[in-house]
Amino acid sequence: MIKFENVTKIYDNDHVGLKNVNLQIEQGEFVAIIGLSGAGKSTLLRCVNKMHEITSGKLTVNEVDVTKLKGKEVRQFRSKIGMVFQSFNLITRTSVLGNVLVTLVPSLPWWRRLLGIYPRSAKLAGLEALDNVGILEKAYTRVDQLSGGQQQRVALARTLVGDPDIILADEPVAALDPVTAKVVMNDFQRINQQLNISILLNIHHVDLALAYADRIVGIRQGEIVFDGPTAQVTPEIIDHIYHSHHVEDAVNEKVPAHV
Amino acid sequence: MFNRKFQLASGKVVVARPSKIPLISLLMIVLIAIALQVTKFSFTTLLLNGHQFFVILRGMLPPNLKFLPRIWQPLFDTIKMSFLGSLLGALLAVPLALLAANNIVRSKWIAGFFKFFLSILRTLPTIVVALIATFIFGLGTMAGTIAIFMFTVSYVGKLTYEQIEALDMGTFEALESLGLTRLQAFRYGVMPQILPTYLSTTLFSFEGNLRYAAILGYVGAGGLGIILSEQLGWRDYANVGMILTVLIVTVSLIEWLSQTARRKLQ
Repeated sequence: MIKFENVTKIYDNDHVGLKNVNLQIEQGEFVAIIGLSGAGKSTLLRCVNKMHEITSGKLTVNEVDVTKLKGKEVRQFRSKIGMVFQSFNLITRTSVLGNVLVTLVPSLPWWRRLLGIYPRSAKLAGLEALDNVGILEKAYTRVDQLSGGQQQRVALARTLVGDPDIILADEPVAALDPVTAKVVMNDFQRINQQLNISILLNIHHVDLALAYADRIVGIRQGEIVFDGPTAQVTPEIIDHIYHSHHVEDAVNEKVPAHV
Repeated sequence: MFNRKFQLASGKVVVARPSKIPLISLLMIVLIAIALQVTKFSFTTLLLNGHQFFVILRGMLPPNLKFLPRIWQPLFDTIKMSFLGSLLGALLAVPLALLAANNIVRSKWIAGFFKFFLSILRTLPTIVVALIATFIFGLGTMAGTIAIFMFTVSYVGKLTYEQIEALDMGTFEALESLGLTRLQAFRYGVMPQILPTYLSTTLFSFEGNLRYAAILGYVGAGGLGIILSEQLGWRDYANVGMILTVLIVTVSLIEWLSQTARRKLQ
């Protein structure tokens, strides 16, 4: 369970990333976070695994107070939360399997880390993860030779091998064509349903968000302006999330917050 | 040509910006004139004594093959200095480049300090370092190796930290999000990405160092330079010719090897 209580994030340059956010996500939910660029979607995600510090409020993930974590605790905590990025962020010039196995590096003894030698059990786990996303046959190919969709699935396998409770996905399909985007979204859905992993996904494509997520969180200028099941989302709500000031007057009624 | 006003059909007028070329040309001519004065460069001397160069060159041909056995040892010394200095220097360059890279080291001061250190190291001429090293470590290849080592650290170090700073930090962020420490993220995320360029830089540096190593003997730092200065001193141009021939062949051979290896790294 992820629980934001009055969370505010102000960057060093006084830019307000999140403003008094209250949000509760149960284990196994598939949540799409939508909103304009710069609205605070990425900030919201990065607070969950402490890539960003929150300025005030309380953030608990699986009963752990995130703000209190330090050093090694942060790294152990992060290892249970997978993260997927818009530009894949894979290690170029390295094999697909090599990319996936990096997740297991913190659990290796120091001499293995130094030499970069993985035990057989780790390799097997890596191959299993690749099989799960359907690119097992590419295991020994260099990642830079793969297509965008395949690269994103490598990134997904990289998170899976760490056996995460949560996957944070920051615009995972923004760099992909519409067909490939659907394939990757299907992967997310399958992982969510089969492995009961919570998925928090930032996305620009509202149609994809509505097609795949159970729940939509709309964010505007650092504030949550909508939170509810996908079925409740209407075109007016989408307008409310995406349009700034002048539309704000048109949609005057306050959207009820989902609890 | 000098009319900088253009009238368009619509009646609009565009005025071209005045060119700075005449001013710059004038400045260049003045500077060259001053430089000729200061360096006492004279075309008369060039014309009168220029042919001496060809006299020496003709003296070198044919090279004295009997001198060859005396060249092998200094030649290997030269290669040894260059190889060992490059290898050790390139190894030390990695941690220094890491400490100088703004995107790896969070403190601006630490990164700035190591950048400054590498710059200072680079401004020291290798031959001067070699000379100082002979005072400390005595005459011989040790001094030459140290000089080449210092140059390689600064050269490979600078190019490598620039390489690291130009990296896309997305991978680094991804690895940190997996729970890796910054050092682990470097080992697994940055190293595979910079390794080919790093090796290529090191090989390139080795090539250059071989040429340097050949003249370090002039200050007593071992290698071909010692016999080169000796034979030049005795004006035994046939022997000098032999030394230069061996040097040219060796340098081209190693350059060719290094270039082949670097092509394979791409």
